[in-house]
Amino acid sequence: MTDTPQHIVKSYEQELNRLRDLLTQMGGIVESQVAACTDAVVERDGDAANRAIELDPKVDALEREAEQFIIRLLALRQPMAGDLRAIVAALKCAGDLERIGDYAANVAKRSIVLAQFNMPYSMGGIAHMCQLVQENLKSIIDAVGENNVELAVEVWRSDARIDEIYNALFRELITYMMEDPRNITPCAHLLFIAKNLERIGDHATNIAETIYYSVTGEPLLEGRPKGDNSAYAVVRPPEEDTP
Amino acid sequence: MMLGIATETATAATLTDAVPARISMRDLEFFYGANRALKGINLDLPERQITGMIGPSGCGKSTLLRVLNRMYDLYPGQRATGQVWMDGVNILDDGIELNYLRSRVGMVFQKPTPFAMSIYNNIAFGVRLHESLGKAAMDERVEWSLTRAALWDEAKDRLNSSALGLSGGQQQRLCIARTIAVRPEVILFDEPTSALDPISTLKIEELLDELKKDFTIAIVTHNMQQAARCADQVAFFYLGELVEVGAAAQIFTAPTQKRTQEYITGRFG
Repeated sequence: MTDTPQHIVKSYEQELNRLRDLLTQMGGIVESQVAACTDAVVERDGDAANRAIELDPKVDALEREAEQFIIRLLALRQPMAGDLRAIVAALKCAGDLERIGDYAANVAKRSIVLAQFNMPYSMGGIAHMCQLVQENLKSIIDAVGENNVELAVEVWRSDARIDEIYNALFRELITYMMEDPRNITPCAHLLFIAKNLERIGDHATNIAETIYYSVTGEPLLEGRPKGDNSAYAVVRPPEEDTP
Repeated sequence: MMLGIATETATAATLTDAVPARISMRDLEFFYGANRALKGINLDLPERQITGMIGPSGCGKSTLLRVLNRMYDLYPGQRATGQVWMDGVNILDDGIELNYLRSRVGMVFQKPTPFAMSIYNNIAFGVRLHESLGKAAMDERVEWSLTRAALWDEAKDRLNSSALGLSGGQQQRLCIARTIAVRPEVILFDEPTSALDPISTLKIEELLDELKKDFTIAIVTHNMQQAARCADQVAFFYLGELVEVGAAAQIFTAPTQKRTQEYITGRFG
């Protein structure tokens, strides 16, 4: 509600602004974490991996700060209607951002192991996934800052693309593992990296749903184009195909 | 029971579709002389539910309560038009017997107003206006009323003491006991806790919750949290208009009208 007038109590308005600042600050750090873990995996950049890992405690600290601030706001301001929705939404978004930070740090840790192996196959799929996840994350953090429902819905829809790439990667990596057992260690790490990226995308869509409810007062109920089918995927070795 | 009343306006559609209306206001307008204080109100009070009325001072919410038991008849130059249906009767009609109406639609005011007489007689006084009960039946009615108003335990050993010796919160519960003693169907509360401390306020709120099992309740309050805590249905008034009515949970989490949102979040005016 961009045309909403200011709150009569100025300090309350300032507190609501501070809450939004805390979230965008968290969002900024998480964005750098995901960018760094992308470099760590795709460019095999060890420094970037360390950056992504070191930023994680900052995100955790900001989440705690946001949580305490929100509990205080609920107790002291007893918010109603749009304010109530915005404050509860902030609590949920902070949780989602914190999880995204965790996944990014985990990707970075695995990239350090991965760097010890020769990669005989293309990293194009993972790189593409990283790029889409980063784009969605940037958009959703902008949407949080601007209360932008249209942008949030766009992110929510585009998560299906990330899931598609994840499903393709899942099959591809299992195939590599079947081809040569020496591939199992790097491919298992890559599989976890892909899963973490896919989860980052899911948390971005959670935030999109939260923004939608916060701004409109309605839940985003429309069925989202799904999704991660890897839970049902079966990849068989070639010899099973012959009778 | 209610006669078939058309609900053509959007504002009349509310919550709890299954709950029948105890009182239905249709195109209700109210005038203080030439000044129109209520404009085209369409509102139902669902049976055995609490309707909270909120809005800034002068929005018409207290005026509305005063229409529902024809209190305004006491003042010249005040008149209501439209219909207020209760049991198939328009209570705005000229032929309505006002004493009977007021025994069915009771009212509790902002400040406790006990009579300068004993606790017992504060309750018996109103009952005697409408019924002639023997001593035992009256004793029973007094106990029933005080029990329903959550005052019996505190008052049973001092029924013949002056009501003025009670605390503010007790006095307000006595006024509630006095109101329910004549066994009304609807009770109107006009800011019943604004003169009370927080604990007495919570006792009244707990009492409202108990009373709604038997009575249909309308409460005017300036305390938004109180409306949120007590009411099933909430109606927001502004400048004599009913802006929005809906289930309390909907009004306080996701109101549909911009003016409601601005008022309840403190961004008004």
